[in-house]
Amino acid sequence: MNQATAIVALMKRDLRAFLRSRSQLYSSVLFPLMLLAILGTGVSDGLDPKHIRDYVTFLTPGMIAMTAVFSSTFSSASYYQDRDSGVLKVLLASPHSPRVILLGKTLSAVVIGAVQALLVLAVAAAIPAIHFRWQYGVAWSLLAAVFAIVVLNLFLSGLGQLLASKIRTMQGFHLVMNLVLFPFLFFSGAFFPLTDLPVWLKVLGRLNPLSYGVDMMHLALYANGDGGYFGLPMDLAVLTALAVAVFYFGTSRSVSPDR
Amino acid sequence: MKIAAAPGAADRTFAPTHPAAVEVRDLVYRYGERRALDGLSLAVPAGAIFGLLGPNGSGKSTLLSVLIGRRIAESGEVTVLGEPLSNRQRARIGMVFQEPSLDPQMTVGETMDLQARMFGLRRDAGAARTRALLDRVDLADRADALTATLSGGMKRRLELARALLNSPELLLLDEPTLALDPDSRLRLWEHLLEANAEGCTLLLATNDVAEAERYCRTVALLDEGRLVAQGLPEDLKRDLRHESVRIEWVEEPSDEVAMMEAWPGVGHVRLAGHTTHVTVDEASPFLARLFQQTGDRVRGVRIEATTLEDVYFQLVGRGITSPAGAEGGAS
Repeated sequence: MNQATAIVALMKRDLRAFLRSRSQLYSSVLFPLMLLAILGTGVSDGLDPKHIRDYVTFLTPGMIAMTAVFSSTFSSASYYQDRDSGVLKVLLASPHSPRVILLGKTLSAVVIGAVQALLVLAVAAAIPAIHFRWQYGVAWSLLAAVFAIVVLNLFLSGLGQLLASKIRTMQGFHLVMNLVLFPFLFFSGAFFPLTDLPVWLKVLGRLNPLSYGVDMMHLALYANGDGGYFGLPMDLAVLTALAVAVFYFGTSRSVSPDR
Repeated sequence: MKIAAAPGAADRTFAPTHPAAVEVRDLVYRYGERRALDGLSLAVPAGAIFGLLGPNGSGKSTLLSVLIGRRIAESGEVTVLGEPLSNRQRARIGMVFQEPSLDPQMTVGETMDLQARMFGLRRDAGAARTRALLDRVDLADRADALTATLSGGMKRRLELARALLNSPELLLLDEPTLALDPDSRLRLWEHLLEANAEGCTLLLATNDVAEAERYCRTVALLDEGRLVAQGLPEDLKRDLRHESVRIEWVEEPSDEVAMMEAWPGVGHVRLAGHTTHVTVDEASPFLARLFQQTGDRVRGVRIEATTLEDVYFQLVGRGITSPAGAEGGAS
């Protein structure tokens, strides 16, 4: 039985469901852009941050990371919808291992998350008030940003599956994802640089997987001549290792249609 | 209408190639401390319409879950279509679950297409078989409709069509007609009988006695995860008293149950509120004695044919369809 065919079929199904849900599609792009406009302009004009030369552009990588966070949360929750609608047990009664089913669902979450984040990046690039520096040249910088987006989504979708294996209800899942991921987002360097933070927050920032993704996107899109908070080699190494490990364990979890 | 087997699923005919479609031996499965399957052994002949009959909690659904690989038995042997159960083996099995199992955001056609891809059918073969099956279950004109817009009977027929997509040699059915109206039940059974006529073994879990008697050639009576009896419905009933009398009492009877049990020719007496169900050798002398001794307390009587419910009650001491504890009586 061709596993790749099954995985692609599952991905197509989830992607189709995402495209049909227009409200999710539009809000996933509009919400970060709205935050960019309101928060970016508000902080730039109202607070006049001393250390950030162009806050709206600085904020953009953070908004892209936030898009990935929200998207992976929503997509991972589709596991609960499949369980509650009874579709999961039908899939598990097919001639494929639970791992193939989970792989199809998780990969579709990665694709949806990455597409949403790339849409935000594309729209942001077209806004005159946002000035990407592309310090490695447009092609390489873009490649680095896309890589960061994809790997970040791999990590977040794997994390979503790991949490879904422990949490019984969708409501509980959303609660825990918000509880875990919002703090991650706040001390990731998405909204303010990690450089000037107190030591304890810097430590948390260093332990935070999102920080490496945001740093890599800052390097690709915002930085101009500096080496970033962690540096590109460190970002690449940590992000890739964590994403691969978490995705692997997330898709290896046991699946029961009854819980 | 006869439908060709799915070419992409397997190059085979529906003709059964194994003496037993399912064979389980000493099967044990626990939910915590409770043994849902308690050393269950039984064999389902290939090509049969085989009913697993028992009340809720007797282990019927758990057995089907084990057979489809959703649950792993603690001990015992499972052989399906001549081989131990594996992922690949599931390509030869279809399943209709007790609870609804359709994605409300998918159309009828998409539901079938996903199943075809999951079972490795080639696109053209899957499309052709989908058309034929949707036509068979009268859903061809609803292919583009979201499953959420279908009626209960249509949803069940779609679930059946989906389960038949891979041309299964064995079809597992968990209470397939539950909550369906009589007309929908009849139509669903027409499709099931067609599939069986083409050689597909049907293994049905039910607590609907009338349905089991009407359609199943063989039944296995289950109680608390154990096999109580197995055989043709007629054979199982043959050992029982021949007639069954239903008595409606004016008031809830008290001493009457013990009194009737002591009468010659009386088999089992079941009490449910103001009604008792009595199996007897012959109804006439029993009724004469009943009216003689309790006439003013009887509101009405009805002579009925004995059913598998009576067999079950004789063997287990309680009924199939009534919730546990609702019936009293003795055997």
